[in-house]
Amino acid sequence: MKEALSLVQRLSAHPDSRCWFVSWSPNGTLLASCGGDKTIRIWGKEGDSWICKNVLQDGHQRTVRKVAWSPCGNYLASASFDATTCIWKKKNDDFESLTVLEGHENEVKCVAWAPSGNLLATCSRDKSVWVWEVDEEDEYECVTVVNSHTQDVKHVVWHPTQELLASASYDNNICLYKEEDDDWECRATLQGHTSTVWSLCFDAAGQRLASCSDDRTVKIWREYPAESGPDLSWKCVCTLSGYHGRTVYDVSWCQLTGALATACGDDAVRVFKEDETANPDEPVFSLAAQVARAHNQDVNCVSWNPKEAGLLASCSDNGEIAIWRFQEEE
Amino acid sequence: MADMRMDDDLFDSIVFAEERFRDEGYREGFEKGSRRGLQDGRRHGACHGARLSCEMSFYYGFAITWKCVLQNSIDGKSRKRVKALETLLGMIQSSPLDDPQSQKLQDDMDKLRAKFRQVCSMLSVPADFKDYISVAEGTSF
Repeated sequence: MKEALSLVQRLSAHPDSRCWFVSWSPNGTLLASCGGDKTIRIWGKEGDSWICKNVLQDGHQRTVRKVAWSPCGNYLASASFDATTCIWKKKNDDFESLTVLEGHENEVKCVAWAPSGNLLATCSRDKSVWVWEVDEEDEYECVTVVNSHTQDVKHVVWHPTQELLASASYDNNICLYKEEDDDWECRATLQGHTSTVWSLCFDAAGQRLASCSDDRTVKIWREYPAESGPDLSWKCVCTLSGYHGRTVYDVSWCQLTGALATACGDDAVRVFKEDETANPDEPVFSLAAQVARAHNQDVNCVSWNPKEAGLLASCSDNGEIAIWRFQEEE
Repeated sequence: MADMRMDDDLFDSIVFAEERFRDEGYREGFEKGSRRGLQDGRRHGACHGARLSCEMSFYYGFAITWKCVLQNSIDGKSRKRVKALETLLGMIQSSPLDDPQSQKLQDDMDKLRAKFRQVCSMLSVPADFKDYISVAEGTSF
């Protein structure tokens, strides 16, 4: 296979610890990482290389599992195993802890901002998904607690344009939620994976959702007009199997190019491209590039830069971040 | 022929004795078991009913008390909280508590517990009432 994924830089981000997650700021200039060392690090480019600009510590008592930037880029939310979610506010070149959201019974697994920036979703091992409303005074109030999963909820993600929330769980299912009379309700349960669903990602238009799982597959779900009533209709239109040797921990759909990247427990990073001539009801994806030993331990996360096409960040259990450039062969 | 039949009966009573005693034993055992099962079931049901009722009543008392505290405040935040409390009270009142066989009961209880936790968060009250409510345990990644 042609080597289309080249290493830009490798960073020892969270030494002697796991690096769990990386997230690009909306303008693509900063990368936030978090890890088992209870810290969040902010990385920026200086000259040709990426360097650590800030270390956010003392916010959490345990592992920081996920970080998320607000759509305006001025706030950062961090989800931790200490059962809290921290909101950090960017001030000049520094970050200060603004507030701590409490309520989950135990480990918070993920946090995500809605595209409007007015809503925040969190999920936890306590099986619940919480939606928080943000007011003008930077105050956060819980507007709903939903218990639609029967196990640990691993991931939450918002639709890119609508107020539609998706969650993935250890119960092998994906749930989709919408607001209904001041409360959020599960409006669709996507069943198909045969083991834990670790992560989710919508495509740029929000018509499709990619999910990845411990069952070593990636599934593509597509929205169809609802048959009846208020329930949503999403169907699995494609399953990528046979490519991943172990659990697929993360999936990222590039909003600029449509390339699909995966992070896998077999230490590899892979990039898939869609055959654009295929029937939209039966999309076809093929492996465009892979780095077999992208890291020397499990790859936990992959993330496409939102502004610079082809720039990909990944992070691993060995505490490293790698930045890659994906170049398509003509 | 008559003698022959008597001999038959005599032997029958011996041959079938085991079966007869087994049948009688079964009947007696069955009755005893039924009584015992009924008692155990009643105890089990009473125990679960009491636990559920205790949990539900705790939510009810909690919601009523907070509603009394907040209902005279007119600021937006308090109004929102009162609204959430009223939703919780409405959910308690509409639950099929007197029908333990109801399919809806489990579902309603899950929703109630979720609502209670949201209300606690809104009121900035730690939802640390382990004696009254059910919580998850264990470890994970």
